[in-house]
Amino acid sequence: MKIVIANGMHSADYIIHKYHNRYNDLIVINNREEACRYLSMNNDIPVMYGQATRESDLREVGAENADLFIALSKNDMENYVACQTAKKLLNVKRCISTVTNPKNVDIFKELGIDSVLSSTYILGEQIRNAASIENLINSLSLEDEKIIIVELKISDRLRVEGMCLKDIGISDIGSISVIIRGQKSIIPNGNTQLMADDKVLLVTNEENREAVLKVFKRKK
Amino acid sequence: MSSNVNTIVVGAGRIGSNIAKKLQKENRNVLLIDKNKEKIAKVDDFSGFVETGDATDLSFLEENGIKDVDRAVFVTDDDNTNIFLSDICIKRYGLKEIYIRLTDSRKIKIVNENVRCICPFDLSLNEFSDLMKGEKK
Repeated sequence: MKIVIANGMHSADYIIHKYHNRYNDLIVINNREEACRYLSMNNDIPVMYGQATRESDLREVGAENADLFIALSKNDMENYVACQTAKKLLNVKRCISTVTNPKNVDIFKELGIDSVLSSTYILGEQIRNAASIENLINSLSLEDEKIIIVELKISDRLRVEGMCLKDIGISDIGSISVIIRGQKSIIPNGNTQLMADDKVLLVTNEENREAVLKVFKRKK
Repeated sequence: MSSNVNTIVVGAGRIGSNIAKKLQKENRNVLLIDKNKEKIAKVDDFSGFVETGDATDLSFLEENGIKDVDRAVFVTDDDNTNIFLSDICIKRYGLKEIYIRLTDSRKIKIVNENVRCICPFDLSLNEFSDLMKGEKK
């Protein structure tokens, strides 16, 4: 895979470290001399000193037709223009931008950036998850957050513990795809009972997310 | 903000403040925005509206009536900011008349075709060519 890593210092270093192998062709461009020095010293890889927002610089490093373009600058506007340049002028297939201002996550997506990440935004989501249900282990969003997969653990303190799936009131708002019980994974039906220590994987969508999580509240 | 503002100018540098003054003289209601308080304070001979804040924060722009204006002029000293603002104003607010300044005119290729670009470098170059040809004195 051809991956372009634009700007960033420690974040760029981490990504290079993780994906620098014979399967990937990494292209690193950075507009800060200090970062260039740091990245090339820590990794056995050429680093170009240049502007990722400039078409000619991106062409010079060979960013054309890359499979992935990752913009890691702390300056959101710079990331935005770098991604648009890569997409519109260099035929890059997919762009990922990090943003400092979490409000830009939705805006950048609206403007056509494929994936937008903000650590504060993720933190906000995690807090929302943690606050809404104590047994939630993990939550994954797909298709631009239209589909949500939730992993949660059933404990004896939950209202649904011991109940059959057809009785917990979830059928219209989500679906339990698999139950992991000890070493076994069970594809459930309406008569399957939920037991303490079960791990449940359920699929829902954004509209029904809160309603689904309410089903797994504690006993009163 | 007064609802009869019909033009927003973002960036109160020399070009921004002079565009704002010019439009105001043509009896347009202008709001001039800059994130830097001192730049706003330096603008004299302008009796339109002024506001200090970060225009890339859309809630700030919305509070100041971006949805209801006829035109916007984005002339901050950062090309990337100007391009971003023009894109979001077309996409989200359907604004039709947008002007931006580009210091690096090569970036014009990624700007939406309906946005009018002011490129000082190109203007100077053209002016030089005209002067050379003796078309201007």
